[in-house]
Amino acid sequence: MTRQITIIARYTLLEAMRTRLPELVAAATLVLAAASFFVQQIAITESTRMQTGIYASGMRLASVFIAGLYVLASVAREFNDKGLDVTLALDLPRAHYILGKLGGFLAIGVLVALAASLPLALLAAPEAALQWGISLALELGIVIAFALFCIVTFSQLMPAASVLLAFYLLARTLTAIRLMSAHPPAGADVLSHQAIRMLAEGIALVVPAFDGWTQTAWVVQTPATWSGIGGLAGQTLLYVALLTAATMFDFYRKNF
Amino acid sequence: MKRSEERSVSQVPRPVLGLLVIAFCLQVAWQALQPKPSARAEALPAPATPAMLRVLSLNEPVAAAQLLTLYLQAFDNQPGISIPFRDLDYRRVVNWLDTILSLDAAAQYPLLMASHLYAQVPVETKQRLMLDFVHRSFLEDPDGRWRWLAHGAIVAKHRLNDRALALRYAEDIARFAHTAPNWARQMRIFILEDMGELESATILLGGLLATGEVTDPNEIHFLTRRLEQMKNAEKSSPMSKN
Repeated sequence: MTRQITIIARYTLLEAMRTRLPELVAAATLVLAAASFFVQQIAITESTRMQTGIYASGMRLASVFIAGLYVLASVAREFNDKGLDVTLALDLPRAHYILGKLGGFLAIGVLVALAASLPLALLAAPEAALQWGISLALELGIVIAFALFCIVTFSQLMPAASVLLAFYLLARTLTAIRLMSAHPPAGADVLSHQAIRMLAEGIALVVPAFDGWTQTAWVVQTPATWSGIGGLAGQTLLYVALLTAATMFDFYRKNF
Repeated sequence: MKRSEERSVSQVPRPVLGLLVIAFCLQVAWQALQPKPSARAEALPAPATPAMLRVLSLNEPVAAAQLLTLYLQAFDNQPGISIPFRDLDYRRVVNWLDTILSLDAAAQYPLLMASHLYAQVPVETKQRLMLDFVHRSFLEDPDGRWRWLAHGAIVAKHRLNDRALALRYAEDIARFAHTAPNWARQMRIFILEDMGELESATILLGGLLATGEVTDPNEIHFLTRRLEQMKNAEKSSPMSKN
């Protein structure tokens, strides 16, 4: 059982290596490192701080974009090539296929986070860079699991990418949305405001608040606490488990 | 017969269903146990340079100015917290307003914010900072920005009780804003009158009527009556001019 999952994960990783994903990540890292160096050169004061901040925030977005889109494109291609049909014709439970793909994609996420955080180790304190890298890997884990869920559920690239983008934007702004809905400047007692507040609180129960992950402030101001990173790891584990179960649920119900 | 897109839920293995239910319940319980986010007031940061903002906005300075204006306007009402204007760092606010105007010189919004919002705080130094900003901006484009300085003159006269400052603003409007309507250009006369400078006010008003600058018959009638009243007042209290 474990062997089948491992083989699928290994081939997923191999596919990423052979489709120039490492080159793409390296190019993004270089471009953002160069952009941050440009900022450092034109900054009058706090030049290293600005360079670190620009690189960290830009690389976080780039990593999410690359990892999320790669998962969508890879699985969509398997759907379209009918390679999945052949795979499922073998003596392979569907859950194992999902676990194998997820395992491979999560390994890719860890490698992307590693590549993204290496330049940061030169700019910021090593501990802060390590915390930032671990947090990015955890964030990418959720994005990857959600991307897999989207593409399995919708089968088409466009709706899956749109939902993934909406999810990420919502997760990044969720805390601000909760604060604004809980303390409106006027008319807090109005029914519509109450409904909006309840909706925001309801969404917060099922969507992680990404503003707590991979904060630029960790590398330019105060490092995070390790207990905080542990909390993020727990949340990530739980959310990835939930998304995996949801993906399996949809995948078992699919007809091929 | 067309095959159904989806199979029934019974096709999903029970461990998968169990994992889904347990993970969902744990997720909801975990999030419900997290403390609610609390609002924290953040200090207004210094604005980026106009050149940097041009780059960041892909050379769309007007759009950048509009976004900055909305950001600044919303700053006193950060998510979950409301900051009184008097708690804002007014020198920073002036820097922001300057930056916005340098990106979009035709914008009136920053001047409205300065003269009608930020100048309303009951702190004299902050009011003066805003009036000074409005005055500086007026000198750059008198015909486009005279109305904000006219409001500034009123604030100086009635809120700050600084008639000299109000008179300086009113005189600048009369001197530089050639397209301003007569009421704005005549403000200095009434401020002078309020200051007891009846002779100066009379000369200015008489000059205004003599040059034919005022053409509206009702306005001419009103100003003529006003001129007569001033002359009478001047005769009855010659000590008032000092």
